[in-house]
Amino acid sequence: MSTTVIDYTKELPVVEGRPTASQIEVVVTAPLDQFPPRKWWYAFAVTLSMLSIGGFCIGMSLYKGLGLWGVNQPVGWGFDIVNFVFWVGIGHAGTLISAILFLLRQRWRTGIARFAEAMTIFAVMCAGLFPLMHTGRQWLPMYLTPYPNQHGLWVNFTSPLLWDVFAVSTYFTVSLVFWYLGLIPDLATLRDRTTSKIKKTIYSIFSLGWRHSNRHWQHYERAYLILAGFATPLVLSVHTIVSFDFAVSVIPGWHTTIFPPYFVAGAVFSGFAMVQNVLIFVRQYFNLKHIITLDHLEKMNKVMVLTGSMVGYAYAMEFFIAWYSGSQFETFVFLNRALGPYSWAYWTMVSCNVIFPQLFWIKKIRRSIPAMFLIGITVNIGMWFERFVIVVTSLSRDFLPSSWGHYTPTLYDAGLFLGSFGLFFTLILIFVRVLPVVSISEVKAVVEGAQPSHH
Amino acid sequence: MKKELPSKVKNIGWALLFVGIVIYVIGYTVNPREAAFNNVIGFLFITSIAVGSIFLIALEYIAGAVWSVPMRRVNEFLGGLVLVAPLVALPMFFHLHDIFHWTDLGAVGTDELLKGKQPYLNLNFFIIRFVVVFALWNLFYWLFVRNSLKQDLSKDQKLTTQNIRLAAVFLPVFAITLTVTAVDWAMSLEPHWFSTILGVYYFSGTVLAAVATATYIIVKFHENGYLQNLKRDHFYSLGALLFAFINFWAYIAFSQFLLIWYANLPEETIWFMKRWEGGMQFVSVLLIIVHFAVPYFLLLPQEAKMNLKRLKFMSIWILFAHLLDLYWLVMPTYANGVTIGWMEIGFPVLIVGLIIVMLGYKMKRHNLVPVGDPKLERGLKFRL
Repeated sequence: MSTTVIDYTKELPVVEGRPTASQIEVVVTAPLDQFPPRKWWYAFAVTLSMLSIGGFCIGMSLYKGLGLWGVNQPVGWGFDIVNFVFWVGIGHAGTLISAILFLLRQRWRTGIARFAEAMTIFAVMCAGLFPLMHTGRQWLPMYLTPYPNQHGLWVNFTSPLLWDVFAVSTYFTVSLVFWYLGLIPDLATLRDRTTSKIKKTIYSIFSLGWRHSNRHWQHYERAYLILAGFATPLVLSVHTIVSFDFAVSVIPGWHTTIFPPYFVAGAVFSGFAMVQNVLIFVRQYFNLKHIITLDHLEKMNKVMVLTGSMVGYAYAMEFFIAWYSGSQFETFVFLNRALGPYSWAYWTMVSCNVIFPQLFWIKKIRRSIPAMFLIGITVNIGMWFERFVIVVTSLSRDFLPSSWGHYTPTLYDAGLFLGSFGLFFTLILIFVRVLPVVSISEVKAVVEGAQPSHH
Repeated sequence: MKKELPSKVKNIGWALLFVGIVIYVIGYTVNPREAAFNNVIGFLFITSIAVGSIFLIALEYIAGAVWSVPMRRVNEFLGGLVLVAPLVALPMFFHLHDIFHWTDLGAVGTDELLKGKQPYLNLNFFIIRFVVVFALWNLFYWLFVRNSLKQDLSKDQKLTTQNIRLAAVFLPVFAITLTVTAVDWAMSLEPHWFSTILGVYYFSGTVLAAVATATYIIVKFHENGYLQNLKRDHFYSLGALLFAFINFWAYIAFSQFLLIWYANLPEETIWFMKRWEGGMQFVSVLLIIVHFAVPYFLLLPQEAKMNLKRLKFMSIWILFAHLLDLYWLVMPTYANGVTIGWMEIGFPVLIVGLIIVMLGYKMKRHNLVPVGDPKLERGLKFRL
């Protein structure tokens, strides 16, 4: 046990070292003003190659059809749905940080909110790709929108798959608007700073005539609060509805009432792991260690140990009730998960999601960059496997042993998955070069001494 | 900083407690079965407030919250109810056969499902679980409060660190023990029925009941000059917490309902069917209105959360809602249809009396504010 005495009478500074407003501006905008260095191009080349592999696989899937994938009877949902749920989960941290932590008045969110929000948008874009591919008729997506048409064709309003379309697209829209709203004051700052004429024009257009006036700020704060209020239920609803995709059915292992909160906890869990992983690099390469501090990373690790334990609780509860219910199919599915042909996936999931994150109870590990990076990666591996376990084990062996099957992904499945990572990181690499990765205006407001003091 | 409850309030407390005990005794002599079911409601109600308060104490420590520090003592006082909750439960142990179908070994013998559940649902293990759960809660409560009270004199910061560590151990224990309580006392009433979310469902009500009780007491104290240093920022935070958990409860309740309704499996839907016949459908609809719709709209505006009158009203309202929720959980097992009589109204009286008496007892002995807490000053200065 550590013997260091913590002084609880003082609040820890959100930003270290009391930088001045102009220092913050300089350090945050630095990457935007210079030509990307060689390292960036290397990274860009890698992610772009991954993206092209994904593009190739999409092209082939369109040209030849979904027979290229590993899905079969009875496992009709394979990598595509697993990846969809995985990416939507990743996309949960951003708006949670910007909306829910805003409502909870957590000031440490300022340093990480912008980046996390951007990641949300990119992750939801990656997620949206998969169901679209999964439909197999990628040229008919307009029928997902309910509109009066001459064919008299209507969507199935009672299907949670349709609710998904609404939930995810609403979430994407609101997250985008939220992100853009937060960007406006920063875009104005960029507009005022830049010397290039082209940039100035672009920034001027997108900063919507922002003048940093008192009245602007008043409206801005109001709008931000209202949007945060709207976005909060949205954050929770998206993965809730994703969980409905499974839980409303009568497939053993899918139909269980704890699914909604359990999926939301898992989503926040994986989202925070991804944000933590990427921020470790960002703060390193862009000299933002005083703005995205070790304390922030530690707090994210705390959120991970909390949500990871919630997920662990759900696993345990599912197991208990499967036995308690006395339903032989439920009991079988859970035993099959732990001991059947996919037990390796199950135990990967349990160890990555429940066991390793428990190390975050130890302060030293919570504050060690290499340790937290490794645990963050295992969390994302574990959360991917969780979806794999849920989707594949339940479908491969349900009621009738004569109709059991086995699922083996093909190279095209792997290629599509790789491609989604390519898309995600390509977008991130572009983002860090064209927009400030940290909210300049918000960080200025949380520097020590920047707050008005009450008496 | 020691303040006593006015003797008038204390007398009311004793009177309510007395009336409650009388109803308790008459109830058990007139209709032991109905009394036992009401006892389950009363027991779960007092457990909610007691263990919910301990949870709030742990939450403050582990989250490093400062705003709630000046009011923490109220939670610490209320947590003391874990010591008396088993006393409230005691009479039920003589009537377990009336309450739990699975204690009837004859019926279990012919029922394959119940036979399968016997390793969990049997009397010995049930009593062991009850004892262990309450032993754990009392242990943690005692440790938390001991450190907190010690700090009043010593102002030792290490005690805060100790309590933070304690909270880290307590939270997983709390999750498991509360789930066990919900399964044992609510789910096993209908021994064939099961739902993985029920533990979370009871948790949402638990926190609501604890926050509501604390809010009412804190506002009352403030109005009577006890906790004068609290500002509207503190009350706003209490109101926001109530509002958040109102939504959380609705979310969990809706999730459970929708998934069972949609999948439409008879072994699960029967539980909701029972709550949709013989007049219970009115209670079910009432629950949605009372437990969600009304508090949602009355607590939504920013001003409402700082309005002391509104907060007081809403705390009582939410406590009633939690009672209604427990009634809705428990009573359909007693009889089909709505049962309402003097016993249903009488048992909560006992609990309220108990809370007041407990408060009077604790206030006489301990400071009303954790004066030695290192975060106290930050807590008092807390502004939104």
